[in-house]
Order: sequence, then C-alpha cells, then structure tokens
Amino acid sequence: MIYKTRHAWTFLFPAILLLLVFSIIPIFWVIYLGFTDYNVFTPPSWVGIENYEKLFNDPKFWAALKNTILYWVMVTPAITILSLLLAILVNQKLKAIKAYQLAYYFPFLVSVVITALLWKWMFATDGMFNYFFSLIGIGPIKWLTSQSTAMISVAIVTVWQGLGYYMLIYLAGLQSVSKELYEAAEMDGAGFWRKHWHVTLPAMRPIIFFVSVISTMGAFKEFTLMLVMTNGGPVNATTTLVFLVFKEAFENINMGYASAIATVLFLLVLIITFINMKIQGTDQKA
Amino acid sequence: MKNTSIKKRKRKKFNYRLRGKIVSYIVLTLIAVFTIVPFIWTLSTALKSANESIFSIPPKIIPVHMTLDNFINVWTQLPIPLYLWNSVIITFWGMLLTMAIATMAGYPLARMRFKGRDFVFLIIIATMMIPVEATMIPIYLILNKMNLLGTFTGVILPTAVNAFGIFLMRQAFLGIPREMEESAIIDGANIFQIWWKILLPQVKPMLATLGILSFIGAWNSFLWPLIILKEQSKYPLTLGLYRLEGAFEASTREVAAGSIIALIPILIVFLLLQRHFVNANISSSIKG
Repeated sequence: MIYKTRHAWTFLFPAILLLLVFSIIPIFWVIYLGFTDYNVFTPPSWVGIENYEKLFNDPKFWAALKNTILYWVMVTPAITILSLLLAILVNQKLKAIKAYQLAYYFPFLVSVVITALLWKWMFATDGMFNYFFSLIGIGPIKWLTSQSTAMISVAIVTVWQGLGYYMLIYLAGLQSVSKELYEAAEMDGAGFWRKHWHVTLPAMRPIIFFVSVISTMGAFKEFTLMLVMTNGGPVNATTTLVFLVFKEAFENINMGYASAIATVLFLLVLIITFINMKIQGTDQKA
Repeated sequence: MKNTSIKKRKRKKFNYRLRGKIVSYIVLTLIAVFTIVPFIWTLSTALKSANESIFSIPPKIIPVHMTLDNFINVWTQLPIPLYLWNSVIITFWGMLLTMAIATMAGYPLARMRFKGRDFVFLIIIATMMIPVEATMIPIYLILNKMNLLGTFTGVILPTAVNAFGIFLMRQAFLGIPREMEESAIIDGANIFQIWWKILLPQVKPMLATLGILSFIGAWNSFLWPLIILKEQSKYPLTLGLYRLEGAFEASTREVAAGSIIALIPILIVFLLLQRHFVNANISSSIKG
C-alpha cells in the first residue's frame, strides 16, 4: 500500500486537535479546578478539598442531587416502558400507520427551547393541559408554579419529546423478531399480553436495557428544559446538578466550587456507564 | 353442522380483529393528539389578535379574529430575521465542520494500518463518555483564552468534533472493498484523490445520516450560544426566543409566532427527508 503513517496523522489531525482542546484537556482541568478557588479575575488558588467539604454540607447540593435523581426516576421508567408499548402499537399493519409514526417522532427534532416554550403555555393555569383535566373533573393544577408538581411537569415534557425517538429504536428491534415465534405463541392460544410477555420481552431485552441507559444519561444531563420552563424554581424545586453547575459558574462566578459539582456529575455519569457495561457483559455471557 | 361452527369461529375471529383495529386507532389517535396539540395551540396563539385573550375557558383553538399581525410584527419590529440568519450561519458551518472532520478522521481509522491506530480509536470512543455539561467551565475558559467569547467560531468549535460521527464514518469506510483503492493507486491517484474521488462517493448514505444528525444539533444548539454570546445581534433563534420570552419586549403571541418560524425549517427538512431521518435515528442508536 502507498499509505504512510504521516498520511494517517494528517487526516486525523483536526479531530484529535479539537478533541484534545474541547474534551480531554477540559475534563482534567475541571477536576483540577475543583480543588481551587477561582473567580476568573485572579488566578486560581489551591484550596485542597475545601470545595468538597463545603459541598457535602451544602443543602443546595443535596437538594440538587435529590432533584436530579427524582427527575431520573420519573423519566427513565416512563420512557422505557411507554415507548416500547407505543412501538408494539405502531408495529401493526394498519392504514396510515406511517403518518402516526412521523407525528410521534417529530417532537424529538424540535429545539428544547421551543419545546419548553410550547409547554410553558400548555401548563399555564388557564392553559390547554388544565382544560383537558377539567373535562374529567380535575384541577386546576398549578403545574409549573407549585413545588410539588414542577418536576413532574418537566418530566412529562421530557417523555413527550423522547417518546417517538425511542419508539423508532424499539421498532427496528421489533421488526427483527421472528414472525414464527409469534405464530407459535398464537397456536398455543396466547392472547395479546401473554404473546408479548413471552416473545417480545425476552427478544427485546438488550434494546430495553439500551433505552434505559440512554435515557438515564439524558436525564442526568438535562438542563435547558429546567432553565426555560421554571428557571430552576419554584424555590429550587427543579434545580438539578447541571443547573447548579451553570448557576454557580456563570451567575455567581464561583468557578472552583462549580467545578467540584461538575466533577461529581462526571463521576456519577461514569459510574452509571461502568455499571451498564458490567451488566451488558454478564448479559452476553449468559 | 360442522361447517357453520367454523363459519362462526371465523366470524368471531374477524370481530375480534376488527375490535382490535378500532381500539388501536383510538389509542393511536389519542397519543397523536398528545404529541400534536402543543404545536396546534402555539399556532393558534400566534394567529390571535391583540384584543383576543390567549387563555380562555374553554380554550379556543380557532381564533375569533384570525390575523397575521404577530408574524408581521415579529418580522418587522423584533430582530427575528437577524436571529434566523444567525441560526443559518451557525448551522451551515457547524454541519460542514462536523461532516468534514468526521469523514477525514474515519478514513485512516478504517483503511490504513499505522502504529497507535487502535489506541487513537479507543480514545475517540472514550471521549463520548465525557458529558459537555461537566466540562463547560474549562471550555468557557479556553474559549476566553482564545479570544473567541462572543463569536460564532466559539459557538461552533466546541461541538464541531462528534466522536460518534467519526465512529459512524469509520464503519462506513470499513465496508468498501479493497480493490477500489488499489486500482486507483495503479492509476496514479494520490491520497487526497483516493479519499475525495474514490471513497467519499461510496459513503454518501452515511454522510447524509451524519448531515441530518448535525443539522438537528446545530439548528437547535442552545448551551454554547447561551454561555458565550452576549450581544443580542449575534443570537440564534433558540437563544433569541428564550431572551424575548423573558424580557417583556415581546408578547406571548409574538414569541409564539417566532417559535412557529423557528419550527418551519425543521418541519420542511423533516417532511422532505423522512426516510433518512428514520435511518439516522436507527444508526444513532447503535452507539451503545
């Protein structure tokens, strides 16, 4: 071959350079900054684990961690289960089924900012959402302005936006499940639910797992929805870890402290990734 | 006797099927209402005139006095056309850079043998685990040092390398038969010609997929504009609408009209390229 090593590095150069500058160096830098006091105007000064001591005694941090986990617990199971059910529903030979699929998928393409705005109006006390609920005699609910429902509202929007995306992922998997298995189940007299419980669920296990992991990652990183819909409120009820990083770094200019929170966030995501790889590894062995 | 019982069973089965279909359509339609209503309602808000209240009980989907005033105001009195133009610039360069860098990097990773290749590939894949939300502080500081705060370059560069895009392009390049390069080499083609003229045409479908993914990403980008851009004249639509909504400069009707304007390009591209979107969705899910 005429390929020489320098050719390879020439083609790789832009990618490696940008990854170094915007991904690899920053992750080490943020860990370092977590051990400093830094306000941008004077150079960072080393303070050891002071930020972490402060962090563990900071009720705002614990509240943000709690909110992040709460959001995750609301979003991930709902998305994992509902989009599978939806995929089963649209995996039928029905007229106009493609149009339905496209309608479900479209919200995923919409900017999170626009999504947040649309739903802010939907969730207004005199908004559309409360109107639907009033038809069945519930409400009016202060979706975004009450501490107890603000996070659920954000979670509903997340599910709305992601449902079609995960549905398509499941759909690709469903279409590769052998038809004979379903026919055999039908021969044995299995009804709709039994058929899917015994055939679909086992066949889809890896994809179900994959969807839950991806939506978990998304849940730990979501920030725009909270910023636009509630600005972290009311009374910090929707302030998550990422939101806290953003606030501390760019509003309070506490770069050191914010970096410590960011490091915790990174470690959380890393731990989840490793647990995921472990489970997937044992899954494949079994 | 036997014949009629079979007929009965068949009819029963037919009824069961029909009922299943009807139930399916009802559920499908209800969910479609759930996904579509926010758009319809925003459109209806954008079409309502200033003296018609947005929130009424029961809500009015079809405005009493339908008007295009909000769209005209948004276009003539608010800087929406400027925001739109900024979004176009950011999207164009963002897409171009992402696609160029990924197709360049994917080529040697798939077609060449050299020391350190597997290591480099591993590092590129590993960076997918670094969430930008965790690194936004150092990236901000780096952009500050490079004097890129407040510039489009600063918005575009941090997300220009898409590790997943490199992975996709590498997979696409792997699938090309060796003979294609070999005959080109015999013809005396140099390395850039092989890449550009021989290999790139072979990976067009994957490049289209990557193009769509980066189009959505760039058109909807918000985090970096939010952190970096301070001058209003540089805002893309996403950031502009967010600021307008918070600033009382614009009424809800006008922000709604602006949102509809922001949705139109995505909707058009989506309707034209439906099939590719589905492919992009599926290949973006292989990354696990």
